[in-house]
Amino acid sequence: MTPISKDRRLIISVVVFAAAVLLPAVVHDTFWLRVATEAIMWVGLALGFDVIAGYTGYLNFGHQAFFGIGCYATALLMMRAHWPFFLALAAGGVVGAVSALIIGIPTLRLRGAYFAIATWAVARAVQQGALMAGFTGGPDGMRTSEYLNPHFFYYVMLGVVGLTFFVLWFLLERAPFGLKLKAVREDQESAKALGLNPTHLKIKAFILSAIPTALCGGVFAYWVTFIDPNSTLGDLLSDQALVMVIFGGMGTLIGPVVGAVIIFGFKTVFWAYLSAYEVLYLIILGALIAASVIFLPDGVLGISFRRRSGRAKQEPTQPAAAASGKEA
Amino acid sequence: MAEPILKVEHVSKVFGGLTAVNDVSFEMNAGEILGLIGPNGAGKTTLFNVISGYYRPTRGKVWFQGRNISHKPPYYLAGQGIGRTFQVVKPFAGLSVLENITIASFLKHPRRAAAEAHAWKVLEFTGLADRAQIPAASLTLAGRKRLEIGKALALEPSFLLLDEVVAGLNPTETDRTIELIRKLRDNGITILIVEHIMRVIMGISDRLVVLNFGQMIAQGGPAEVAGNPAVIQAYLGEEHE
Amino acid sequence: MELLPQALLDGILLGAIYINIAVAFSLVYGVLHIIDFAVGEWIMLGAFTGYHLTLLTKVEPFLLLPIVFVIFAGLGLALQPCIQRVLSGHKGNPTLMALVFTFGLALMIRGLAQTFFGFYSHSIPSHFSNGSYFFQKGSFFVTISSVRALGLVYAIILTLVLNLLLRKTDFGLAIRALAMQKEAAGLMGVNAKRTNLFLFALYVGVTAMTGVLIGVILSVASKMGPENSILAFFVVVLAGMGYLAGVPAAAFLLGIIQSIFLVYLDPGYTMMAVFGILYLILLVSPTGMFRRGM
Repeated sequence: MTPISKDRRLIISVVVFAAAVLLPAVVHDTFWLRVATEAIMWVGLALGFDVIAGYTGYLNFGHQAFFGIGCYATALLMMRAHWPFFLALAAGGVVGAVSALIIGIPTLRLRGAYFAIATWAVARAVQQGALMAGFTGGPDGMRTSEYLNPHFFYYVMLGVVGLTFFVLWFLLERAPFGLKLKAVREDQESAKALGLNPTHLKIKAFILSAIPTALCGGVFAYWVTFIDPNSTLGDLLSDQALVMVIFGGMGTLIGPVVGAVIIFGFKTVFWAYLSAYEVLYLIILGALIAASVIFLPDGVLGISFRRRSGRAKQEPTQPAAAASGKEA
Repeated sequence: MAEPILKVEHVSKVFGGLTAVNDVSFEMNAGEILGLIGPNGAGKTTLFNVISGYYRPTRGKVWFQGRNISHKPPYYLAGQGIGRTFQVVKPFAGLSVLENITIASFLKHPRRAAAEAHAWKVLEFTGLADRAQIPAASLTLAGRKRLEIGKALALEPSFLLLDEVVAGLNPTETDRTIELIRKLRDNGITILIVEHIMRVIMGISDRLVVLNFGQMIAQGGPAEVAGNPAVIQAYLGEEHE
Repeated sequence: MELLPQALLDGILLGAIYINIAVAFSLVYGVLHIIDFAVGEWIMLGAFTGYHLTLLTKVEPFLLLPIVFVIFAGLGLALQPCIQRVLSGHKGNPTLMALVFTFGLALMIRGLAQTFFGFYSHSIPSHFSNGSYFFQKGSFFVTISSVRALGLVYAIILTLVLNLLLRKTDFGLAIRALAMQKEAAGLMGVNAKRTNLFLFALYVGVTAMTGVLIGVILSVASKMGPENSILAFFVVVLAGMGYLAGVPAAAFLLGIIQSIFLVYLDPGYTMMAVFGILYLILLVSPTGMFRRGM
């Protein structure tokens, strides 16, 4: 696949975004509008996941914690403290960011393995907490006020995710931050020698990954009116985000978008026709993950960050590279 | 007499049961090239790692420009003007050569445009400008070693630690690197260099420090050290060019 | 206060179970440098196998352990080349991708288990299930359930056997060499590929046997995987990743902490409290309680 220049990709993204903005003018069926809203949400979740997974090289198997925290923070502020939606949503984002700081400080100093385990465990603990705590409604969940307006939620979701995409584009592909993050991902020790503080950078990335996720959670809470620990803090969320990102291509922005749309499409079709075979979904998801690692390491489009490291494909210019490349 | 730019004061580094560096002390003055030599396993890279902040000294102190840097991390030292290369080169493989240098340039040029402009200058200086856009992983060994030096240079250091920058290069490439090092010194950079290839290090160093089994066994000018019986003894049976 | 001796004892017995869960896992991490997210699923599969075999043959489950070992060691032998392929194909970040792979594998296994074994939980019947010992000294009294005591015996045997294996056999020497220095070991004639293969098979077999033990002492259910994975992770992180000798101490400490919490806290909060402790430890000493982790 020939690489498309960065500027071209940006233009394509803007066009796609514009099309998404105009969608409700063309599609009037509220069912499809809701489907589209959910698809956009998954794009947001996948993007958040890729910031810490693909760009930084740290797997967050507890990604759903930020989503759930955003859900509950927004819902609680709206229902108990009677905050207006947008204020509660913003606060949800802040809570998500603070959570990332708390979780990240001890775990991001260490290797990826620790981080994967710790985040996985934290998410379960958060879910457990939501189940036990009274103020969250426990296993029975809680309701938010009903506001049936598919157009409203479509645009809010699109706004959140669209903003996320372009902010990430700027921070990760244009600004120094993105390059510094990639440096830490590629070789942390070398990065240190160049004046970069890997832990600080990783924590910033983690916070950056948490905010859109929490915001999507906040919108979700108001949108679906009812949230509970199972639907908002379950494993399935990060499982799906993981597939979307790996399948789409890690370490890029287009990858998660493409991956999210495709996998979400598959998921919707599956649940429409095969909902009797719930357990099958888990198997397929797991198989997709394992298979993607083996057969599609660069994602379905072959665009993951690994491509340019020369390990996926040897550039024809330097034969000596092979002989000299063996690192002790 | 001006204050020494670097002062290694009774530095020891112990790993569990192994004493890799044992009570080493020496000084360096601004603008000189000091060669660090010794047989394999003598502790040269460990000492490098201590000076550049990757290890903390078990005992002793390291002073840079009059300040105690013994416990400072590498990224702090980079900001103080200390640059280093790694023996096993560490390019950011997935990024282009230009991106590699740009990252290093961010230290003194926080904005992207300025950093890139500075990076181009460094690429010109090190002769990598023609390969700016290719992935770093695709460079030859010589190219990667240049990139390694380039990254350290982009920090605009006043002090450079070079760890075996000519190992594995052919004679032409080696000579070019020596030229580069001389140019660096002429630009006012103080250099501490580790090298196994005798003709290189003898030719380029103002002074030498010899380590064996973690201890300093000799210090002085090249001729002096070459004739030192303890040094010859240490290298007996060692193959060197 | 009278509950303390019982709590401590329960903690030790619980710790024994944790040793069983974590010891092979730690060995695999130390040598192959992979975190197997499917560790809990092997335990679950082993438990179900033990359960069905016991029902089928009416034999005491403890006697069926060797059979379970063989079955799962075989499974491990078949699976390891896949993992090896992932590890060698991704020179960019092989450990990361291997992590993802085992994560996907765990999901698949869990889904398959739910498909074939359903959602109900069972208990593996054993002749020792109902037995217990009772000790009293003055006002202190403790009850030890026989199966848990057997769990302790099993842990001791397992630790001793692994220790013997590592120190007295060529295979063990190869493992230790690989754990320390991969390339040098290869140069010395250690066949890394084969050693890794057998090590992984050993790990799966041992872990599955532990599943049977847990099935007898606690229960068997298709969703028991993640909780056991977390326990394995906790023990290994507490001990110091890759530091095998730290596992027993870490396991006992974890068991005791959990038991004491159980006395004073709602069971639902126990896990969170344990996790809180782990978080603090990671904050203070990331290389584990002995500071020997990798």
